[in-house]
Amino acid sequence: MEAASHAKATHDHAHSHDDHAHHPSGLMRWVTTTNHKDIGTLYLFFSMTMFFIGGLLAFGIRAELFQPGLQYWEPEFFNELTTMHGLIMVFGAIMPAFVGFANWQIPLMIGAPDMAFARMNNWSFWLLPPAAILLVASFFVPGGAPAAGWTIYAPLSTQMGPGMDLGIFALHIMGASSIMGSINIVTTILNMRAPGMTLMKMPLFVWTWLITAYLLIAVMPVLAGAITMVLTDRHFGTNFFNAAGGGDPVMFQHIFWFFGHPEVYIMILPAFGIVSQVIPTFARKPLFGYASMVYATSSIAILSFIVWAHHMFTTGMPAAGQLFFMFATMLIAVPTGVKVFNWIATMWKGSMTFETPMLFAIGFIFVFSMGGFTGLILAITPVDIQLQDTYYVVAHFHYVLVAGSLYAIFSGAYFWLPKWTGHMYSETLGKWHFWLSLIFFNVTFFPMHFLGLAGMPRRIPDYALQFADFNMLATIGALGFGLSQLLFVAAVIKCIRGGEKAPANPWEGADTLEWTHLPSPPPYHSFETPPVVK
Amino acid sequence: MIQVDSEKKVKATPLQVAKAVFWSFFGVRKKAALDKDVVTLTLPQVVVAGIIGAIIFVLSLVMLVRYITR
Repeated sequence: MEAASHAKATHDHAHSHDDHAHHPSGLMRWVTTTNHKDIGTLYLFFSMTMFFIGGLLAFGIRAELFQPGLQYWEPEFFNELTTMHGLIMVFGAIMPAFVGFANWQIPLMIGAPDMAFARMNNWSFWLLPPAAILLVASFFVPGGAPAAGWTIYAPLSTQMGPGMDLGIFALHIMGASSIMGSINIVTTILNMRAPGMTLMKMPLFVWTWLITAYLLIAVMPVLAGAITMVLTDRHFGTNFFNAAGGGDPVMFQHIFWFFGHPEVYIMILPAFGIVSQVIPTFARKPLFGYASMVYATSSIAILSFIVWAHHMFTTGMPAAGQLFFMFATMLIAVPTGVKVFNWIATMWKGSMTFETPMLFAIGFIFVFSMGGFTGLILAITPVDIQLQDTYYVVAHFHYVLVAGSLYAIFSGAYFWLPKWTGHMYSETLGKWHFWLSLIFFNVTFFPMHFLGLAGMPRRIPDYALQFADFNMLATIGALGFGLSQLLFVAAVIKCIRGGEKAPANPWEGADTLEWTHLPSPPPYHSFETPPVVK
Repeated sequence: MIQVDSEKKVKATPLQVAKAVFWSFFGVRKKAALDKDVVTLTLPQVVVAGIIGAIIFVLSLVMLVRYITR
């Protein structure tokens, strides 16, 4: 891809911009780059690498749970697997993938030449590999990796070995990276839009990222505060979360989830944005209720700040508190429902075709909605008190984060690969990838609803015999799901290396600037003269 | 490169701002109303109204909860 885009850039810009064409080549190009396309690519490859590391850990979990009894791991190591799987997937795979999309797409979609702070953009990315190395290295220090769950609840997190310190430090760095990335995105969107591109003309992907970036700026410092307090409790004699010293471990949960719940929306709003680009394209109709989509996204973002304690109903709180968080949580279904209805209305009577991006987008609506509904069920306090920490919760958030965020990432990747690489991806590989992912995803996670309803607790390496069959099924599904993802790697590599040439706009219904104003692949420096949007 | 709104803004009335914020909480907005919002609403108006709206929303939930648990 890079060779192709580089060649194109040199070709397009050799005459007027000689100085720009002289950037380092080889490894130094990637280390020193300030180009939004290069940095987007780096983010996406980083995310894919972490996705497979996290996936490997997931398979460690599922292998142990294939049968009751202890097969492969000590219980302590099993806890490390569940914790690190969560941390790596959330902070290493899903979030950087969306930032990768933002880097590639936001300047192209608003007609800007690059991100506002190009050098900070480089730093935002290059903070991530050291953080990832710290996270993975924590497996090899005495006491092993963090094993307190991805939520690193105190007092577990105040007691573990140096692996926890590495984990905390990694989270600090990733948080700093996210904050810088968000400042960059907000500044770019608010200041660098092409003439005529008013806020209400922006593609919905840009809107969702604008709102997500504000959420990130608001909550990442909260996480940093929480883990810093854990760190000082561990090493500097403070007692923020130590009941024996006058502190309160439940306070950690409040602070963590004040970050954690908006974080859930940080991982889903850009997904909504991608799906809102893909569905109108392949339904060949404008997005139904564009304004409602913008308003609903804002509404979800606002509500995300007042629902955090629904994650901790069982810690004990007054009935009034339980009711407040229950009602507030259930109300999020309203704007989310507005979005789902708008996507369906967009498809209604559209001239639909089912290329891979559209398949993933429709798969997203179907399976994400199921995750949304189980979320509503969990919002009901008395039900949640029964289901807290069971596999029902595991099923719920995998329906939201895998079938929601990850499917949207796949949808967006197939959608924009022709633009990024200049080649069409293999539709056959893409379709196999979609159908196998959809089937194996449900084989893996649907039985977990039943396991949870029957009372199987999460984060355990062993279980009672009555849970054996569904667990075996889930493990078979997980193996299938994991292997299916290799098809995605194959599709991406094949697309980068060659294939049918992609025209500037391979999709009949695509009408955003990257399709209408730029060749595929776009030149290394695009929109040096901003387009005029009518 | 920096977008400049060429249209001169006529300031929205408080009621219009309140309506826009109410509909944003619900997540639905008529196209005609949106078009009017875009030319009349200013950013500070929306932010202030949004914060007031969020406070009213939280207080009404608290009142409902207190009424139930009385």
